[in-house]
Amino acid sequence: MQREGYVPPTAGGGAGSGSTRPGGAYGDVPRQTSMKYLCADCGKSVTLNKADPIRCKECGFRILYKERTKRMVQFEAR
Amino acid sequence: MPSTKKSVVSRSSAGQAVFDTIAREKRFRNPPADKTAFPALNEAVRPHVDSWNAVFREGGCLHQAIADIGERTVFDRLDGNAETGYGNKLTVRIANYYLGKSMLSSRDKTAMKREIYPAECRERHSSYRGQLQLELQYKVNNGDWQKEYRDCGLLPLMVMGNRCHLESMSPRSLVDHKEESEEIGGYFIVSGNEKLVRMLIVNRRNYAMAVIRSSYAKRGPSYTNMGVQIRCVRPDQSCMTNVIHYLSDGNITFRFSWRKREYLVPVMMILKALVDTNDREIYEGIVGLDQREDTFLTDRVELLLRTYKAYNLYSRHETLAYLGDKFRIVMQVSPDVSDVEVGKLFLKRIVLVYLNDDGDKQRQLLFMIKKLYSLVAGTCAADNVDAAQHHEVLLGGFLYGQILKEKFEEYLLNIRSQVRSDLMGGAKVEFGSPQYIRKMLGKVNERIGESLHYFLSTGNLSSPSGLDLQQTTGFTVVAEKLNFYRYISHFRMVHRGSFFAQLKTTTVRKLLPESWGFLCPVHTPDGSPCGLLNHLAHKCRIATITSDTSQVGPLVLTLGVHSAKVLPVPTDATLSVQLDGRILGWCSPRDARRVAESLRFYKVSGTHNVPLDLEIGYVPTSNGGQYPGVYLFSQEARMIRPVKYLPLDKEDFVGPFEQPFLNIAVTDPEIKSGDSHVEFDPTNILSIVANMTPFSDFNQSPRNMYQCQMGKQTMGTPGTAIRHRTDNKMYRLQTGQSPVVRAPLYNTYGLDNFPNGMNAVVAVIAYTGYDMDDAMIINKSAHERGFGYGTVYKTEKYDLAEKSKSKSPVLAFGWGWAAIGADAAALAKYKAMKDKYSETLDDMDGLPMVGQKIVEGQPVAVYHNMGTGETFFFKYKGSEDAYIEEVRLLGNDVGDSICQAISVKFRITRSPLIGDKFSSRHGQKGVCSQKWPAVDMPFSESGIQPDVIINPHAFPSRMTIGMFVESMAGKAGTLHGFAQDSTPFKFGEQHTAFDYFGEQLKSAGYNYYGNEPMYSGITGQEFHADIYLGVVYYQRLRHMVNDKYQVRSTGPVDSRTRQPVKGRKRMGGLRIGEMERDSLLAHGTAFLVQDRLLNCSDYHQTWVCRGCGSFLSTTPTAAGERRAEVRCRRCANKATEFDIGKKGYWEDGLGNRFIGGEDTTVVVIPYVLKYLDVELLAMGIQMKYDVSP
Repeated sequence: MQREGYVPPTAGGGAGSGSTRPGGAYGDVPRQTSMKYLCADCGKSVTLNKADPIRCKECGFRILYKERTKRMVQFEAR
Repeated sequence: MPSTKKSVVSRSSAGQAVFDTIAREKRFRNPPADKTAFPALNEAVRPHVDSWNAVFREGGCLHQAIADIGERTVFDRLDGNAETGYGNKLTVRIANYYLGKSMLSSRDKTAMKREIYPAECRERHSSYRGQLQLELQYKVNNGDWQKEYRDCGLLPLMVMGNRCHLESMSPRSLVDHKEESEEIGGYFIVSGNEKLVRMLIVNRRNYAMAVIRSSYAKRGPSYTNMGVQIRCVRPDQSCMTNVIHYLSDGNITFRFSWRKREYLVPVMMILKALVDTNDREIYEGIVGLDQREDTFLTDRVELLLRTYKAYNLYSRHETLAYLGDKFRIVMQVSPDVSDVEVGKLFLKRIVLVYLNDDGDKQRQLLFMIKKLYSLVAGTCAADNVDAAQHHEVLLGGFLYGQILKEKFEEYLLNIRSQVRSDLMGGAKVEFGSPQYIRKMLGKVNERIGESLHYFLSTGNLSSPSGLDLQQTTGFTVVAEKLNFYRYISHFRMVHRGSFFAQLKTTTVRKLLPESWGFLCPVHTPDGSPCGLLNHLAHKCRIATITSDTSQVGPLVLTLGVHSAKVLPVPTDATLSVQLDGRILGWCSPRDARRVAESLRFYKVSGTHNVPLDLEIGYVPTSNGGQYPGVYLFSQEARMIRPVKYLPLDKEDFVGPFEQPFLNIAVTDPEIKSGDSHVEFDPTNILSIVANMTPFSDFNQSPRNMYQCQMGKQTMGTPGTAIRHRTDNKMYRLQTGQSPVVRAPLYNTYGLDNFPNGMNAVVAVIAYTGYDMDDAMIINKSAHERGFGYGTVYKTEKYDLAEKSKSKSPVLAFGWGWAAIGADAAALAKYKAMKDKYSETLDDMDGLPMVGQKIVEGQPVAVYHNMGTGETFFFKYKGSEDAYIEEVRLLGNDVGDSICQAISVKFRITRSPLIGDKFSSRHGQKGVCSQKWPAVDMPFSESGIQPDVIINPHAFPSRMTIGMFVESMAGKAGTLHGFAQDSTPFKFGEQHTAFDYFGEQLKSAGYNYYGNEPMYSGITGQEFHADIYLGVVYYQRLRHMVNDKYQVRSTGPVDSRTRQPVKGRKRMGGLRIGEMERDSLLAHGTAFLVQDRLLNCSDYHQTWVCRGCGSFLSTTPTAAGERRAEVRCRRCANKATEFDIGKKGYWEDGLGNRFIGGEDTTVVVIPYVLKYLDVELLAMGIQMKYDVSP
């Protein structure tokens, strides 16, 4: 099996290499790979793909915060 | 009723101690846009910030340093230029330096804002640095100077210094830039940590100190223990210590150290080299007109002059040439300089370097000789080198500047050696070609910024000269923001030097009266750093600039002082008048007093151009006391403090040198005739933290020291910008309150922004037995309402770049993939792994989910190799459950790399538990022993239940009466609704605290004495005694059981000894040591000893041979026809052919056959015994055990 260099899958699915991989090679990684973060400086929401450098698209700041999870967080209150 | 209340309130001292809740809230929501509300805080860190500014301002120390470094030359030894015989000459010098603010590198093309603010450095775990650039100039032979700008790396910048973006920002814009509204600066940010260069105590500059030190006698034969030492500091703050030694024959030698080597020169040689002089002038310079009959002195001076004849050096010129010849190599001078010039350079670089004029140098050296002979004759005492009188403070900024100066100098030397190595290596050396110069400079180490970064991050000093300091490590500390007291204390801390920590003698640690008002007598840790690590009194300042004293010299001469330049001085003019170590003139003892008093009057009144911070040390003549004279000091690094000057009723600044000779009254009523000054406030002698102990004058003094310790260990409020901080560990008290009982200084320093504890209703009663031995009971309901609830934040950086060696990213966050073509089982395994970890990890990016709980072993983040798809995890290592508080994705400096590092902040909840430590503000610490249900707590007649119960036995031996006063004051304050002033030294015998607060209680309808009848919560019966019940401010200390408990039944063992390992972190055990064992034996609990030392430790069953008494010769038989057994090989004989026929032989694993050795048995031993046996065997020692029965 020859393996070409890492080609990050993109949200648009335009990259051919992603789709040519045998199905299931990714396990069950969801196709959607862009994430939303918050810029630590301007506070704007930043959508980032896997291969994007860490920086705010608006102001170019170099720290991003991860947003609080949308999943229900439940603890036993004791 | 209001009328009575009014009367009580009016007696409260001027209403200074107020809550100001509304103003505080408003200020907090709307930080002032003009200036800080708490200038006292900025005042507290001024020594750090101002010293930085003094170094890096225009014309500051660093510019002076560059001028002082001068030029370096190198020759190409080519015969192109035969004029000198050395070939072409390349001269290099540093003309200027440029230090920029912290900015993005030019490689980043896209960012809108180019400034890098400190908050970003903290969040990104990076360093706050600015570009350093040198303007290098060079010339070839006598050509014109050519310019070359060299980048010398990024230099760490001081926050709030003159290269910081935050300098002169208003609190509002500070908040906008993610800082505290009262950000004080004074530190550096190194890899996300706040580091500061700590202040060190060093000897007072430019003052000749008479020293008796036994180590002086070890310098060589005929050396004595007496000498005069002077620490000379140049205007650029670099220093050079000169010592003159007294030899037992009466001679004197001059000692200095140059590049860590020591050199000795006859003092006469230096005297003769300094100015054109003759023996008579030197004689008259040392022996005053009044001392002509003093044969002790004249004999020695005669000898001094006579022995020097052996050198046959008569003129200044000859002497300089001689010195130059001897020190040419040592001083690394270029070969084309004449010996005389080298001699002059020697005098400039080494002898009394703070003076520029050679005549001044000679006069000071003669003065030192006079002082030394006086010390030897016993007419003056040795100066106490441990007293604050002879100390000054080496400030962080100045040390930083000194290191930089040395790096600059080294850089020039490196250029020279680079040229030399080019010549040696046969490279083409063309000074005339800029290409060569640039190429050559490219090979020189120019990373000056990095070396200072190293200095700050490790605190290690790597310097060729040692900077005249006695230590090479421990210069920097992390400014921990545990709570605000600790934080601010770091900036007020002065250390005596780690050299003194090793001394066996305790003299350096003693609290001396000279430090009154400069160093806090209370605020020093107990234990090993006691007395070495001091804190500045809160009003003590440190001078960071040289005051303008240009008019002082002429002024002094008009006051009856005879100029030192006009010889001879009159007979009665025996005392010298010195300004910063330069002898201005001589005057009579009577005149000296007048000079000192006039100068003081002028400086306080602000006339005659005498600066206010001039230190006027008038040392009167005495019978064998300190060497008399008038010593004026105006330079940097002196401690100064404000006191009131009585003749003018104005503020004067006094220093530690003059203070012992001034009469300073402590309070106004104590002023006697003859006192020149009075303290503004007796609390000025205390440090910031010591001032926060309420009614500390009522307590036994060690308790106040303990409180200074514990105040700094309190779980409090480190700051308000916690959201933007990434400290490794941070403690936070969720329910902090403003103390009811506080000194007005508490408000001055704005400590309400950082509450450090809670007001608690405290009953002093032996109630359940759970309050024995410094334990305290907490009301369970109080606990449930949030009393003492705290949080610990831990920040961890997960860096992928560290994991992979290569420069370009190899690893990336997120899930990898199963190998292509993996079978169904592998895929299923992969899927199971993902499902298992989906609880904490985000599917999408492999980072933890903010808000999620995480327990030990769960993954914090997942990452994979981008080539192979292999998946790895960062696991959470803490033993406690935590919550993901914040996740930061950190870009690189330029912002062009995919995510290679994240910073995760964990929140660990720390609700008070049994075993957690609490303390009042009086050194009364205790651990929580029970959370007692509210229904069972005792209650007072008004239905009040205590939040905390402490045992009465905590008081008699500790005598913390201040706590009783605080309890009463707090109670009265809460009842009337005002804050109580707890400044110490406010009450006296006539006006007692108990009466004052008793009256307040009485007017509120409570018992005058602070006791109340109370009822048992269990039986409802009234107690026989009234209970002392009041409100005390309690601190929760950071020592918590969760960090301390250590328990194991079984667990990891050491592989060699099979004994339990030690250490809490490794799940180890607690050692029952010899003394514990003795104690158990004395109790007759032998079975317990066996259980602890054997059964629960390295219990081991082993075979031993009864016959030969050895463990090591036993061996299991190979299973043959019979069952496997253990036999002794030593006692067995090799089986012969004949034996094999018989039964009873046995076989070892190799098939060798033996007979005999059956006498083996199993015994129980500690496993280490076997290990010992083997060790001894390796040395050829056999152990034999008698096994019986």
